Amino acid sequence: MRAITIALLVLMGCGTTPQPTPTGATCPDVNNPQFTWQNFGYDFMCHYCDNCHDSNLTLNERNGAPLFHNTDSLIGVMDVMVHTDEQAAIGPKAENRFMPGGGTSGKCPSMPGGALDMNCVEPTDEERKNLATFLACEIQRTDDWTGSAGHVTDHCAAYKAAHP
Amino acid sequence: MAMGSGSDTASSYSANVALVAASFSPSQPENMSYGGDYEGVAAGADWAMDRYSAGVSWAYYRLLRNGAEQYGIGDLSVHGQVAVVARHDVQAGVLAAFSAPTGNETYGFGMGHPMVMPALYGMWRNGPVELAGSFGYSRAITSGVHVHGMAPLVDPMNMSELSWSVGGNVALTPGIRAGLRASGGVPVGSMPGVDRVVGAVRVAWGSSRVETAAEVQGGFLGDPFNIRGVLSTALRF
Repeated sequence: MRAITIALLVLMGCGTTPQPTPTGATCPDVNNPQFTWQNFGYDFMCHYCDNCHDSNLTLNERNGAPLFHNTDSLIGVMDVMVHTDEQAAIGPKAENRFMPGGGTSGKCPSMPGGALDMNCVEPTDEERKNLATFLACEIQRTDDWTGSAGHVTDHCAAYKAAHP
Repeated sequence: MAMGSGSDTASSYSANVALVAASFSPSQPENMSYGGDYEGVAAGADWAMDRYSAGVSWAYYRLLRNGAEQYGIGDLSVHGQVAVVARHDVQAGVLAAFSAPTGNETYGFGMGHPMVMPALYGMWRNGPVELAGSFGYSRAITSGVHVHGMAPLVDPMNMSELSWSVGGNVALTPGIRAGLRASGGVPVGSMPGVDRVVGAVRVAWGSSRVETAAEVQGGFLGDPFNIRGVLSTALRF
């Protein structure tokens, strides 16, 4: 009977498999955020996300990344900020380390739209916490995310030039 | 849905296997963000005695989704039903299905939550014509912190929905039946979802012991898939 009970609990999902969960992060000062698109978000997305989540990539170049989930602009990030928070951020209520690599068994492309030819480079826990705080501040910000401050058209070209 | 005759108190069993293949396309208005195809093989077993029946099924898939190929099992599904009315020409009763989240949600193989799916069903038969329908409520058992729209890719439904099905078939000859059916779901409650409707045309042939069926399904609403084909065989003993 004990074995049956354990099997049922596992089948019902009561095991230890973590689920994507909102971090519950808050913004310490929305008028003076520590992390912005310019000093954090752009670099984070270019380094960890955009090889699969770039709006320039065709369907078959995305290595499983959902269409309409593009992180090469601030408006793209904020369109799916709940998913980003649930998949990659760490906060007081959850530690989410599903992305990058969650849908590809830990493999990532080394170039935009390329084959899954390397183990994914993982953000540090500190960077994941900063991501949660960044998203929490941006969602409260009253500025237009499509404005010049967040609108990126170079698809990480500036980032790659600075990080050859 | 297995329906026994209700007049036989001995247990009967059946084993079945099905091959499935489908293609799907992205659609922003329907919140569908993937394109690709999948193929799978599903195995199942059923038991029936008098007014009671139960069954279990499980599937294994190959999924190509936005350029990424994955292999994996789907959610394990079990069901049971009791016929309240069990005449030859009319049957009605209650059924309950349950799925366990054995499929990988991130890859698109699983719901990510256990699902409970109670429903009422009915069937009417007159000569070669048989009509059937069901109506119920399907709900994910979840703490509520992780919600999503329709899932999984290989067998999509909403986390909270009114589920329905209608269908009918005609016995063309003693060994061949043809029919149409439709099924769908209407999202209810606070969880996100979309209306979904699937239509299908089906031909089945065989004997009382072995029956094979071919079904072509179309995703008419909610973009669960563009087109899906199912070829299944059931052996009763």
